[in-house]
Amino acid sequence: MPGRLDITWLVLIGLALATILLPPLMPRPLLANALLLVLAAIKGRRIALDFMDLRAVPALWRGLVSAWILIVVLVAWLASAVVALI
Amino acid sequence: MSAADCEQQGTGWGILEDLPGDPMIWVLIFSELVAFGLFLGAFVVARAIHPVVFAAGQAALNANLAGLNTIVLVTSGWAAARATRSARASEKRASRRWLLIAMALGGLFIAIKLTEYAEEIGRGIGLETSPFFTLYFLLTGFHLLHVGLGIIILAVVCRRAEISGVETGAAFWHMVDLVWIVMFPILYLVR
Repeated sequence: MPGRLDITWLVLIGLALATILLPPLMPRPLLANALLLVLAAIKGRRIALDFMDLRAVPALWRGLVSAWILIVVLVAWLASAVVALI
Repeated sequence: MSAADCEQQGTGWGILEDLPGDPMIWVLIFSELVAFGLFLGAFVVARAIHPVVFAAGQAALNANLAGLNTIVLVTSGWAAARATRSARASEKRASRRWLLIAMALGGLFIAIKLTEYAEEIGRGIGLETSPFFTLYFLLTGFHLLHVGLGIIILAVVCRRAEISGVETGAAFWHMVDLVWIVMFPILYLVR
């Protein structure tokens, strides 16, 4: 019976494969970029919660790592959106 | 607050004591996340300024090898997390075995990344080819150094396989994993 760590690993592998395979199927770069970065954020959060073991610590620490992930992917998407819209 | 009060309340690290492993590693982890975050921010801003140069640079990268490396590093992170779980269950032998798997996969990540560099350098690509490649080599090289450092830390804690040591090494390793997970699409895939 796989535990949480094993399930997280399988989810991460599945999302990593989706990251490589899905974007070429999406013709619009803005949507493809959004998908890529949302997948990265989901993977990052699973790593933070289950591998780094932040699920059981005070919300401050989870919040800080989640904020880092969110800010980086959001800035990356906004910058790509600016390029696409100009 | 007196030293005796500090001692009574813990080791003096305050709220950092709630985190797994040595609190000092978390000071390092948060510093590294800030550094990588600023670096990635500089990369995406530079891409917005030079979109054509960056698109050409990205097209010259081998995203399949980098994708393979994502799977390798994620699996290595899983092994490090299993090592922590084993150490907490006082199963030192199992913890060492998982740490060795994590280190071996970390070594494989380095080998794949060096293969990728060799392929690029073989095509005449270097640090000064374009602003894209300057930032690409600096970012991935800085990350690669952290993979190497992470392997060394895991090797050090593997010897005794005590809970605090394994938690400390694994926490650093997961930070390296987390940074790559975010860095990979930004460098190789986002158009």
